[in-house]
Amino acid sequence: MMQPQQPYTGQIFQPTQAYTPTTPQPFYGNSFEDEPPLLEELGINFDHIWQKTLTVLHPLKVADGSIMNETDLAGPMVFCLAFGATLLLAGKIQFGYVYGISAIGCLGMFCLLNLMSMTGVSFGCVASVLGYCLLPMILLSSFAVIFSLQGMVGIILTAGIIGWCSFSASKIFISALAMEGQQLLVAYPCALLYGVFALISVF
Amino acid sequence: MENMDDTSGSSFEDMGELHQRLREEEVDADAAAAEEEDGEFLGMKGFKGQLSRQVADQMWQAGKRQASRAFSLYANIDILRPYFDVEPAQVRSRLLESMIPIKMVNFPQKIAGELYGPLMLVFTLVAILLHGMKTSDTIIREGTLMGTAIGTCFGYWLGVSSFIYFLAYLCNAQITMLQMLALLGYGLFGHCIVLFVTYNIHLHALFYVFWLLVGGLSTLRMVAVLVSRTVGPTQRLLLCGTLAALHMLFLLYLHFAYHKVVEGILDTLEGPDIPPMQRVPRDVPAALPAARLSAIVLNATAKAVAVTLQSH
Repeated sequence: MMQPQQPYTGQIFQPTQAYTPTTPQPFYGNSFEDEPPLLEELGINFDHIWQKTLTVLHPLKVADGSIMNETDLAGPMVFCLAFGATLLLAGKIQFGYVYGISAIGCLGMFCLLNLMSMTGVSFGCVASVLGYCLLPMILLSSFAVIFSLQGMVGIILTAGIIGWCSFSASKIFISALAMEGQQLLVAYPCALLYGVFALISVF
Repeated sequence: MENMDDTSGSSFEDMGELHQRLREEEVDADAAAAEEEDGEFLGMKGFKGQLSRQVADQMWQAGKRQASRAFSLYANIDILRPYFDVEPAQVRSRLLESMIPIKMVNFPQKIAGELYGPLMLVFTLVAILLHGMKTSDTIIREGTLMGTAIGTCFGYWLGVSSFIYFLAYLCNAQITMLQMLALLGYGLFGHCIVLFVTYNIHLHALFYVFWLLVGGLSTLRMVAVLVSRTVGPTQRLLLCGTLAALHMLFLLYLHFAYHKVVEGILDTLEGPDIPPMQRVPRDVPAALPAARLSAIVLNATAKAVAVTLQSH
Protein backbone atom coordinates (compact mmCIF):
# COMPACT_ATOMS: atom_id res chain seq x y z
CA MET A 1 0.00 0.00 0.00
CA MET A 2 1.50 3.31 -1.02
CA GLN A 3 1.46 5.83 1.78
CA PRO A 4 1.70 9.56 1.11
CA GLN A 5 5.10 10.76 2.32
CA GLN A 6 4.96 12.69 5.57
CA PRO A 7 6.14 16.23 4.78
CA TYR A 8 9.12 17.17 6.85
CA THR A 9 7.81 19.88 9.07
CA GLY A 10 11.18 20.83 10.36
CA GLN A 11 10.70 19.56 13.87
CA ILE A 12 13.85 17.70 14.72
CA PHE A 13 13.91 15.61 17.91
CA GLN A 14 10.12 15.71 18.14
CA PRO A 15 7.79 12.91 17.12
CA THR A 16 5.54 13.56 14.13
CA GLN A 17 2.00 14.35 15.25
CA ALA A 18 0.04 12.77 12.40
CA TYR A 19 0.37 9.04 13.11
CA THR A 20 -2.10 6.95 11.16
CA PRO A 21 -2.74 3.29 12.01
CA THR A 22 -2.06 2.22 8.46
CA THR A 23 1.43 3.70 8.30
CA PRO A 24 3.76 0.85 7.32
CA GLN A 25 6.48 0.05 9.81
CA PRO A 26 9.15 -1.76 7.79
CA PHE A 27 11.30 -2.17 10.86
CA TYR A 28 8.74 -4.52 12.47
CA GLY A 29 7.72 -6.45 9.28
CA ASN A 30 4.06 -7.58 8.91
CA SER A 31 2.32 -5.99 11.83
CA PHE A 32 -1.22 -6.65 12.89
CA GLU A 33 -2.52 -3.65 11.05
CA ASP A 34 -0.92 -4.81 7.79
CA GLU A 35 -3.02 -7.94 7.46
CA PRO A 36 -6.04 -7.81 5.17
CA PRO A 37 -9.47 -8.07 6.76
CA LEU A 38 -10.45 -11.56 7.89
CA LEU A 39 -13.26 -11.99 5.39
CA GLU A 40 -11.04 -10.91 2.53
CA GLU A 41 -8.40 -13.40 3.64
CA LEU A 42 -10.95 -16.18 3.81
CA GLY A 43 -12.20 -15.23 0.37
CA ILE A 44 -15.73 -14.45 1.52
CA ASN A 45 -16.96 -11.51 -0.46
CA PHE A 46 -20.48 -10.65 0.66
CA ASP A 47 -21.20 -8.46 -2.32
CA HIS A 48 -20.43 -11.26 -4.77
CA ILE A 49 -22.45 -13.72 -2.71
CA TRP A 50 -25.38 -11.35 -2.84
CA GLN A 51 -24.99 -10.87 -6.60
CA LYS A 52 -24.94 -14.58 -7.23
CA THR A 53 -27.96 -15.11 -4.98
CA LEU A 54 -29.89 -12.51 -6.93
CA THR A 55 -28.92 -14.17 -10.20
CA VAL A 56 -30.35 -17.45 -8.94
CA LEU A 57 -33.51 -15.97 -7.51
CA HIS A 58 -34.37 -14.01 -10.63
CA PRO A 59 -34.74 -16.69 -13.31
CA LEU A 60 -35.11 -14.29 -16.21
CA LYS A 61 -32.11 -12.14 -15.34
CA VAL A 62 -29.24 -12.61 -17.75
CA ALA A 63 -26.28 -14.18 -15.96
CA ASP A 64 -22.86 -12.60 -16.15
CA GLY A 65 -20.29 -15.23 -17.09
CA SER A 66 -17.53 -13.66 -15.04
CA ILE A 67 -19.21 -14.02 -11.67
CA MET A 68 -18.20 -17.64 -11.54
CA ASN A 69 -14.53 -16.94 -12.03
CA GLU A 70 -13.67 -17.18 -8.37
CA THR A 71 -14.70 -20.37 -6.61
CA ASP A 72 -16.81 -19.49 -3.64
CA LEU A 73 -17.91 -22.38 -1.45
CA ALA A 74 -19.03 -20.33 1.55
CA GLY A 75 -22.44 -19.53 0.06
CA PRO A 76 -23.18 -23.12 -1.03
CA MET A 77 -22.13 -24.40 2.40
CA VAL A 78 -24.56 -22.04 4.05
CA PHE A 79 -27.33 -23.09 1.68
CA CYS A 80 -26.71 -26.80 2.26
CA LEU A 81 -26.83 -26.22 6.01
CA ALA A 82 -30.00 -24.18 5.64
CA PHE A 83 -31.57 -26.96 3.57
CA GLY A 84 -30.66 -29.52 6.20
CA ALA A 85 -32.00 -27.21 8.90
CA THR A 86 -35.37 -26.78 7.19
CA LEU A 87 -35.58 -30.55 6.77
CA LEU A 88 -34.82 -30.83 10.49
CA LEU A 89 -37.72 -28.51 11.20
CA ALA A 90 -39.94 -30.99 9.37
CA GLY A 91 -38.61 -33.84 11.50
CA LYS A 92 -36.18 -35.35 9.00
CA ILE A 93 -32.60 -35.65 10.27
CA GLN A 94 -30.97 -36.14 6.89
CA PHE A 95 -27.86 -33.98 6.80
CA GLY A 96 -25.81 -36.98 5.72
CA TYR A 97 -27.99 -37.62 2.69
CA VAL A 98 -27.87 -33.95 1.69
CA TYR A 99 -24.07 -33.87 1.80
CA GLY A 100 -23.70 -37.27 0.14
CA ILE A 101 -26.05 -36.49 -2.71
CA SER A 102 -24.46 -33.05 -3.16
CA ALA A 103 -21.00 -34.57 -3.41
CA ILE A 104 -21.96 -37.31 -5.82
CA GLY A 105 -24.14 -34.98 -7.88
CA CYS A 106 -21.36 -32.40 -8.15
CA LEU A 107 -18.93 -35.11 -9.24
CA GLY A 108 -21.35 -36.34 -11.89
CA MET A 109 -22.04 -32.84 -13.22
CA PHE A 110 -18.31 -32.09 -13.21
CA CYS A 111 -17.60 -35.12 -15.41
CA LEU A 112 -20.51 -34.36 -17.72
CA LEU A 113 -19.70 -30.68 -18.13
CA ASN A 114 -16.04 -31.43 -18.78
CA LEU A 115 -17.12 -33.77 -21.54
CA MET A 116 -19.66 -31.41 -23.05
CA SER A 117 -17.86 -28.09 -22.95
CA MET A 118 -15.03 -26.86 -25.16
CA THR A 119 -13.17 -25.35 -22.23
CA GLY A 120 -12.95 -27.46 -19.13
CA VAL A 121 -14.52 -26.53 -15.84
CA SER A 122 -13.15 -26.86 -12.33
CA PHE A 123 -14.85 -28.87 -9.63
CA GLY A 124 -15.07 -25.84 -7.38
CA CYS A 125 -16.98 -23.89 -10.02
CA VAL A 126 -19.49 -26.71 -10.50
CA ALA A 127 -19.96 -27.16 -6.75
CA SER A 128 -20.38 -23.42 -6.32
CA VAL A 129 -23.05 -23.07 -9.03
CA LEU A 130 -25.01 -26.14 -7.93
CA GLY A 131 -24.86 -24.97 -4.33
CA TYR A 132 -26.18 -21.52 -5.12
CA CYS A 133 -29.02 -22.92 -7.20
CA LEU A 134 -30.15 -25.01 -4.23
CA LEU A 135 -31.74 -21.86 -2.81
CA PRO A 136 -35.26 -22.38 -4.25
CA MET A 137 -35.19 -25.93 -2.86
CA ILE A 138 -34.85 -24.37 0.59
CA LEU A 139 -38.13 -22.57 -0.08
CA LEU A 140 -39.72 -25.91 -0.96
CA SER A 141 -38.51 -27.65 2.17
CA SER A 142 -39.60 -24.76 4.38
CA PHE A 143 -43.03 -24.98 2.75
CA ALA A 144 -43.00 -28.71 3.58
CA VAL A 145 -42.58 -27.88 7.28
CA ILE A 146 -46.11 -26.58 7.47
CA PHE A 147 -47.98 -28.18 4.56
CA SER A 148 -47.69 -31.69 3.20
CA LEU A 149 -46.34 -31.87 -0.32
CA GLN A 150 -47.97 -35.12 -1.24
CA GLY A 151 -51.08 -33.74 -2.88
CA MET A 152 -51.62 -32.25 -6.33
CA VAL A 153 -50.56 -28.79 -5.11
CA GLY A 154 -47.38 -30.32 -3.72
CA ILE A 155 -46.59 -32.04 -7.01
CA ILE A 156 -47.08 -28.85 -9.03
CA LEU A 157 -45.04 -26.80 -6.57
CA THR A 158 -42.24 -29.38 -6.54
CA ALA A 159 -42.13 -29.51 -10.31
CA GLY A 160 -42.01 -25.72 -10.47
CA ILE A 161 -39.19 -25.46 -7.94
CA ILE A 162 -37.16 -28.18 -9.68
CA GLY A 163 -37.61 -26.34 -12.96
CA TRP A 164 -36.55 -23.05 -11.35
CA CYS A 165 -33.39 -24.56 -9.82
CA SER A 166 -32.31 -26.35 -12.96
CA PHE A 167 -33.10 -23.37 -15.18
CA SER A 168 -30.93 -21.08 -13.05
CA ALA A 169 -28.08 -23.59 -12.85
CA SER A 170 -28.08 -24.23 -16.59
CA LYS A 171 -28.27 -20.50 -17.29
CA ILE A 172 -25.15 -19.83 -15.22
CA PHE A 173 -23.31 -22.84 -16.65
CA ILE A 174 -23.90 -21.94 -20.27
CA SER A 175 -22.94 -18.33 -19.75
CA ALA A 176 -19.77 -19.33 -17.89
CA LEU A 177 -18.78 -22.07 -20.35
CA ALA A 178 -20.06 -20.48 -23.57
CA MET A 179 -22.29 -23.40 -24.52
CA GLU A 180 -25.08 -21.63 -26.38
CA GLY A 181 -27.87 -23.81 -27.67
CA GLN A 182 -27.23 -26.55 -25.14
CA GLN A 183 -29.14 -25.11 -22.22
CA LEU A 184 -31.72 -27.91 -22.26
CA LEU A 185 -28.98 -30.53 -22.36
CA VAL A 186 -27.36 -29.03 -19.26
CA ALA A 187 -30.67 -28.35 -17.53
CA TYR A 188 -31.87 -31.94 -17.68
CA PRO A 189 -29.15 -33.55 -15.51
CA CYS A 190 -29.47 -30.62 -13.09
CA ALA A 191 -33.21 -31.32 -12.95
CA LEU A 192 -32.52 -34.97 -12.14
CA LEU A 193 -30.16 -33.94 -9.32
CA TYR A 194 -32.55 -31.40 -7.85
CA GLY A 195 -35.32 -33.98 -8.27
CA VAL A 196 -33.47 -36.23 -5.83
CA PHE A 197 -33.27 -33.34 -3.36
CA ALA A 198 -36.98 -32.75 -3.86
CA LEU A 199 -37.62 -36.43 -3.12
CA ILE A 200 -35.89 -35.96 0.23
CA SER A 201 -38.03 -32.91 0.96
CA VAL A 202 -41.32 -34.43 -0.08
CA PHE A 203 -41.07 -37.92 1.41
CA MET B 1 13.41 -49.49 -14.67
CA GLU B 2 12.27 -48.28 -18.09
CA ASN B 3 12.88 -51.66 -19.73
CA MET B 4 10.32 -53.30 -17.47
CA ASP B 5 7.52 -51.47 -19.19
CA ASP B 6 5.91 -53.27 -22.07
CA THR B 7 4.85 -50.70 -24.58
CA SER B 8 2.96 -52.89 -26.99
CA GLY B 9 3.27 -50.43 -29.80
CA SER B 10 -0.36 -49.30 -30.01
CA SER B 11 -0.69 -45.63 -30.72
CA PHE B 12 -2.99 -45.18 -27.76
CA GLU B 13 -0.28 -46.20 -25.35
CA ASP B 14 2.32 -44.19 -27.21
CA MET B 15 0.19 -41.11 -26.64
CA GLY B 16 0.04 -42.00 -22.99
CA GLU B 17 3.84 -42.30 -22.96
CA LEU B 18 4.21 -38.93 -24.62
CA HIS B 19 1.90 -37.22 -22.16
CA GLN B 20 3.72 -38.88 -19.31
CA ARG B 21 7.14 -37.86 -20.58
CA LEU B 22 6.11 -34.23 -21.06
CA ARG B 23 4.68 -34.10 -17.59
CA GLU B 24 7.77 -35.75 -16.12
CA GLU B 25 10.05 -33.20 -17.73
CA GLU B 26 8.13 -30.41 -16.03
CA VAL B 27 8.15 -32.23 -12.73
CA ASP B 28 11.86 -33.02 -13.00
CA ALA B 29 12.70 -29.41 -13.70
CA ASP B 30 10.84 -28.35 -10.59
CA ALA B 31 12.29 -31.18 -8.53
CA ALA B 32 15.83 -30.37 -9.60
CA ALA B 33 15.42 -26.81 -8.44
CA ALA B 34 14.03 -27.99 -5.13
CA GLU B 35 16.69 -30.64 -4.66
CA GLU B 36 19.54 -28.19 -5.09
CA GLU B 37 18.39 -26.22 -2.09
CA ASP B 38 17.66 -29.42 -0.24
CA GLY B 39 21.10 -30.89 -0.88
CA GLU B 40 22.83 -27.87 0.59
CA PHE B 41 20.82 -28.16 3.72
CA LEU B 42 21.28 -31.92 4.02
CA GLY B 43 25.02 -31.68 3.36
CA MET B 44 25.19 -30.27 6.85
CA LYS B 45 23.25 -33.21 8.34
CA GLY B 46 25.34 -36.06 7.12
CA PHE B 47 25.96 -38.31 4.15
CA LYS B 48 24.02 -41.36 5.36
CA GLY B 49 20.82 -39.41 5.86
CA GLN B 50 21.09 -37.95 2.40
CA LEU B 51 21.59 -41.36 0.77
CA SER B 52 18.60 -43.03 2.37
CA ARG B 53 16.53 -40.00 1.65
CA GLN B 54 17.51 -40.10 -2.00
CA VAL B 55 16.72 -43.79 -2.30
CA ALA B 56 13.31 -43.31 -0.77
CA ASP B 57 12.74 -40.37 -3.03
CA GLN B 58 13.64 -42.37 -6.13
CA MET B 59 11.34 -45.21 -5.17
CA TRP B 60 8.52 -42.78 -4.61
CA GLN B 61 9.12 -41.12 -7.97
CA ALA B 62 9.19 -44.44 -9.80
CA GLY B 63 5.97 -45.58 -8.16
CA LYS B 64 4.30 -42.30 -8.87
CA ARG B 65 5.41 -42.46 -12.47
CA GLN B 66 3.89 -45.91 -12.95
CA ALA B 67 0.65 -44.96 -11.29
CA SER B 68 0.18 -41.73 -13.17
CA ARG B 69 1.00 -43.43 -16.46
CA ALA B 70 -1.70 -46.03 -15.82
CA PHE B 71 -4.09 -43.29 -14.75
CA SER B 72 -3.49 -41.13 -17.79
CA LEU B 73 -4.07 -44.11 -20.03
CA TYR B 74 -7.22 -45.57 -18.58
CA ALA B 75 -8.92 -42.81 -16.67
CA ASN B 76 -8.58 -40.25 -19.39
CA ILE B 77 -12.08 -38.95 -19.60
CA ASP B 78 -11.32 -37.07 -22.80
CA ILE B 79 -11.72 -40.27 -24.83
CA LEU B 80 -15.45 -39.98 -24.32
CA ARG B 81 -15.63 -36.34 -25.33
CA PRO B 82 -16.80 -36.85 -28.96
CA TYR B 83 -19.75 -38.94 -27.81
CA PHE B 84 -21.26 -36.07 -25.84
CA ASP B 85 -21.24 -33.55 -28.65
CA VAL B 86 -24.98 -33.27 -29.34
CA GLU B 87 -27.68 -30.70 -29.93
CA PRO B 88 -31.05 -30.75 -28.15
CA ALA B 89 -32.87 -31.18 -31.47
CA GLN B 90 -30.81 -34.26 -32.26
CA VAL B 91 -31.56 -35.84 -28.89
CA ARG B 92 -35.25 -35.11 -29.29
CA SER B 93 -35.44 -36.66 -32.74
CA ARG B 94 -33.49 -39.73 -31.62
CA LEU B 95 -35.84 -40.21 -28.68
CA LEU B 96 -38.84 -40.15 -30.99
CA GLU B 97 -37.19 -42.41 -33.54
CA SER B 98 -36.46 -45.01 -30.87
CA MET B 99 -40.17 -45.76 -30.77
CA ILE B 100 -40.60 -46.14 -34.54
CA PRO B 101 -39.45 -49.43 -36.01
CA ILE B 102 -38.14 -49.21 -39.58
CA LYS B 103 -38.76 -52.17 -41.83
CA MET B 104 -35.67 -51.76 -44.03
CA VAL B 105 -33.64 -54.87 -43.28
CA ASN B 106 -31.58 -55.29 -46.43
CA PHE B 107 -29.21 -52.45 -45.70
CA PRO B 108 -27.56 -51.75 -42.33
CA GLN B 109 -29.58 -49.15 -40.50
CA LYS B 110 -27.79 -46.17 -39.05
CA ILE B 111 -27.25 -46.04 -35.28
CA ALA B 112 -26.37 -42.77 -33.62
CA GLY B 113 -23.12 -43.28 -31.76
CA GLU B 114 -23.62 -40.97 -28.84
CA LEU B 115 -23.73 -41.52 -25.11
CA TYR B 116 -25.50 -38.43 -23.78
CA GLY B 117 -29.04 -39.59 -24.58
CA PRO B 118 -28.59 -43.15 -23.26
CA LEU B 119 -26.87 -41.94 -20.09
CA MET B 120 -29.64 -39.45 -19.35
CA LEU B 121 -32.28 -42.10 -20.03
CA VAL B 122 -30.61 -44.50 -17.58
CA PHE B 123 -30.53 -41.76 -14.94
CA THR B 124 -34.18 -40.97 -15.68
CA LEU B 125 -35.06 -44.61 -15.16
CA VAL B 126 -33.18 -44.50 -11.84
CA ALA B 127 -35.19 -41.44 -10.83
CA ILE B 128 -38.49 -43.07 -11.82
CA LEU B 129 -37.63 -46.23 -9.88
CA LEU B 130 -36.67 -44.15 -6.88
CA HIS B 131 -39.93 -42.23 -7.08
CA GLY B 132 -41.86 -45.49 -7.35
CA MET B 133 -40.09 -46.90 -4.32
CA LYS B 134 -40.66 -43.71 -2.36
CA THR B 135 -44.40 -43.66 -3.04
CA SER B 136 -44.52 -47.12 -1.51
CA ASP B 137 -43.28 -45.52 1.71
CA THR B 138 -40.01 -47.36 2.21
CA ILE B 139 -38.27 -44.36 3.71
CA ILE B 140 -35.97 -46.16 6.14
CA ARG B 141 -33.92 -47.95 3.59
CA GLU B 142 -33.19 -44.81 1.63
CA GLY B 143 -29.51 -45.45 1.09
CA THR B 144 -30.17 -48.94 -0.17
CA LEU B 145 -33.01 -47.70 -2.34
CA MET B 146 -30.67 -45.42 -4.25
CA GLY B 147 -28.07 -48.17 -4.54
CA THR B 148 -30.64 -50.70 -5.70
CA ALA B 149 -32.07 -48.38 -8.33
CA ILE B 150 -28.68 -47.34 -9.69
CA GLY B 151 -27.39 -50.91 -9.62
CA THR B 152 -30.42 -52.29 -11.42
CA CYS B 153 -30.49 -49.70 -14.19
CA PHE B 154 -26.78 -49.41 -14.86
CA GLY B 155 -26.37 -53.14 -14.48
CA TYR B 156 -29.01 -53.75 -17.11
CA TRP B 157 -27.68 -51.15 -19.50
CA LEU B 158 -24.03 -52.15 -19.30
CA GLY B 159 -24.54 -55.86 -18.69
CA VAL B 160 -27.10 -56.60 -21.37
CA SER B 161 -25.24 -54.40 -23.87
CA SER B 162 -22.07 -56.39 -23.26
CA PHE B 163 -23.92 -59.68 -23.49
CA ILE B 164 -25.66 -58.78 -26.74
CA TYR B 165 -22.38 -57.43 -28.11
CA PHE B 166 -20.78 -60.77 -27.29
CA LEU B 167 -23.64 -62.62 -29.02
CA ALA B 168 -23.32 -60.25 -31.96
CA TYR B 169 -19.65 -61.15 -32.15
CA LEU B 170 -20.61 -64.83 -32.22
CA CYS B 171 -23.33 -64.23 -34.81
CA ASN B 172 -21.07 -62.05 -36.93
CA ALA B 173 -23.26 -58.98 -36.72
CA GLN B 174 -21.91 -55.58 -37.72
CA ILE B 175 -22.25 -53.60 -34.58
CA THR B 176 -19.75 -51.97 -32.26
CA MET B 177 -19.94 -51.76 -28.49
CA LEU B 178 -20.67 -48.05 -28.58
CA GLN B 179 -23.53 -48.58 -31.02
CA MET B 180 -24.95 -51.34 -28.85
CA LEU B 181 -24.78 -49.12 -25.77
CA ALA B 182 -26.51 -46.31 -27.65
CA LEU B 183 -29.18 -48.63 -29.09
CA LEU B 184 -30.07 -50.22 -25.78
CA GLY B 185 -29.91 -46.88 -24.01
CA TYR B 186 -32.43 -45.33 -26.34
CA GLY B 187 -34.52 -48.48 -26.02
CA LEU B 188 -34.99 -47.62 -22.36
CA PHE B 189 -37.11 -44.63 -23.39
CA GLY B 190 -40.11 -46.92 -23.74
CA HIS B 191 -39.44 -48.38 -20.29
CA CYS B 192 -39.33 -44.89 -18.78
CA ILE B 193 -42.70 -43.97 -20.27
CA VAL B 194 -44.41 -47.20 -19.21
CA LEU B 195 -43.09 -47.10 -15.66
CA PHE B 196 -43.82 -43.41 -15.22
CA VAL B 197 -47.46 -43.96 -16.18
CA THR B 198 -48.06 -47.25 -14.39
CA TYR B 199 -46.36 -46.32 -11.11
CA ASN B 200 -48.92 -43.57 -10.76
CA ILE B 201 -51.99 -45.36 -12.12
CA HIS B 202 -52.14 -48.79 -10.53
CA LEU B 203 -54.13 -50.82 -13.04
CA HIS B 204 -52.83 -54.18 -14.12
CA ALA B 205 -54.72 -54.16 -17.42
CA LEU B 206 -53.29 -50.77 -18.28
CA PHE B 207 -49.81 -52.01 -17.54
CA TYR B 208 -50.18 -55.03 -19.82
CA VAL B 209 -51.47 -52.86 -22.67
CA PHE B 210 -48.56 -50.43 -22.26
CA TRP B 211 -46.10 -53.29 -21.90
CA LEU B 212 -47.14 -54.77 -25.21
CA LEU B 213 -47.58 -51.53 -27.10
CA VAL B 214 -44.80 -49.24 -25.93
CA GLY B 215 -42.36 -51.92 -24.85
CA GLY B 216 -43.08 -53.84 -27.99
CA LEU B 217 -42.47 -50.83 -30.22
CA SER B 218 -39.08 -50.03 -28.75
CA THR B 219 -38.09 -53.72 -28.86
CA LEU B 220 -39.18 -53.96 -32.49
CA ARG B 221 -37.06 -50.93 -33.32
CA MET B 222 -33.95 -52.51 -31.79
CA VAL B 223 -34.71 -55.87 -33.39
CA ALA B 224 -35.11 -54.28 -36.82
CA VAL B 225 -31.75 -52.55 -36.49
CA LEU B 226 -30.02 -55.76 -35.47
CA VAL B 227 -31.69 -57.79 -38.22
CA SER B 228 -30.49 -55.28 -40.78
CA ARG B 229 -26.94 -55.78 -39.50
CA THR B 230 -26.92 -59.59 -39.27
CA VAL B 231 -26.73 -62.17 -42.03
CA GLY B 232 -28.32 -65.59 -41.76
CA PRO B 233 -31.68 -66.59 -40.30
CA THR B 234 -30.32 -68.59 -37.36
CA GLN B 235 -28.05 -65.80 -36.27
CA ARG B 236 -30.81 -63.25 -36.63
CA LEU B 237 -33.17 -65.40 -34.61
CA LEU B 238 -30.67 -65.99 -31.84
CA LEU B 239 -29.58 -62.38 -31.49
CA CYS B 240 -32.96 -60.73 -31.83
CA GLY B 241 -34.79 -63.33 -29.80
CA THR B 242 -32.38 -62.88 -26.91
CA LEU B 243 -32.61 -59.10 -27.02
CA ALA B 244 -36.39 -59.08 -27.29
CA ALA B 245 -36.78 -61.52 -24.42
CA LEU B 246 -34.40 -59.63 -22.14
CA HIS B 247 -35.86 -56.23 -22.93
CA MET B 248 -39.50 -57.20 -22.43
CA LEU B 249 -38.79 -59.29 -19.36
CA PHE B 250 -36.84 -56.41 -17.79
CA LEU B 251 -39.87 -54.15 -18.05
CA LEU B 252 -42.04 -56.85 -16.55
CA TYR B 253 -39.55 -57.31 -13.73
CA LEU B 254 -39.29 -53.60 -12.99
CA HIS B 255 -43.02 -53.25 -12.76
CA PHE B 256 -43.69 -56.27 -10.60
CA ALA B 257 -40.62 -56.13 -8.38
CA TYR B 258 -41.52 -52.63 -7.24
CA HIS B 259 -45.27 -52.76 -7.76
CA LYS B 260 -45.54 -55.68 -5.36
CA VAL B 261 -43.97 -53.51 -2.72
CA VAL B 262 -46.77 -51.01 -3.16
CA GLU B 263 -49.44 -53.71 -2.94
CA GLY B 264 -47.76 -55.36 0.01
CA ILE B 265 -47.53 -52.15 1.95
CA LEU B 266 -51.17 -51.29 1.19
CA ASP B 267 -52.27 -54.68 2.53
CA THR B 268 -50.22 -54.26 5.67
CA LEU B 269 -51.52 -50.78 6.33
CA GLU B 270 -55.20 -51.55 5.81
CA GLY B 271 -55.12 -55.21 6.86
CA PRO B 272 -57.59 -57.95 5.89
CA ASP B 273 -60.99 -57.76 7.53
CA ILE B 274 -60.76 -59.78 10.74
CA PRO B 275 -63.40 -59.28 13.38
CA PRO B 276 -62.13 -58.83 16.92
CA MET B 277 -61.57 -62.02 18.87
CA GLN B 278 -64.85 -63.59 19.99
CA ARG B 279 -65.54 -66.17 22.65
CA VAL B 280 -67.49 -69.03 21.11
CA PRO B 281 -68.70 -71.92 23.24
CA ARG B 282 -66.90 -75.09 22.34
CA ASP B 283 -68.76 -78.18 21.12
CA VAL B 284 -68.85 -80.64 23.95
CA PRO B 285 -69.20 -84.36 23.01
CA ALA B 286 -72.72 -85.77 23.66
CA ALA B 287 -71.26 -88.88 25.39
CA LEU B 288 -70.63 -86.91 28.51
CA PRO B 289 -73.83 -85.08 29.21
CA ALA B 290 -73.70 -85.38 32.97
CA ALA B 291 -70.09 -84.56 33.33
CA ARG B 292 -70.19 -81.59 30.93
CA LEU B 293 -68.35 -79.27 33.16
CA SER B 294 -65.73 -81.81 34.20
CA ALA B 295 -65.17 -82.74 30.56
CA ILE B 296 -63.99 -79.19 29.89
CA VAL B 297 -61.75 -78.80 32.89
CA LEU B 298 -60.30 -82.29 33.16
CA ASN B 299 -57.29 -83.38 31.23
CA ALA B 300 -57.09 -86.39 28.89
CA THR B 301 -56.34 -89.00 31.57
CA ALA B 302 -59.15 -87.88 33.75
CA LYS B 303 -61.47 -87.87 30.77
CA ALA B 304 -60.50 -91.46 29.95
CA VAL B 305 -61.18 -92.47 33.55
CA ALA B 306 -64.52 -90.68 33.49
CA VAL B 307 -65.48 -92.47 30.28
CA THR B 308 -64.64 -95.90 31.75
CA LEU B 309 -66.51 -95.06 34.92
CA GLN B 310 -69.51 -93.97 32.95
CA SER B 311 -69.52 -97.08 30.80
CA HIS B 312 -69.75 -99.18 33.88
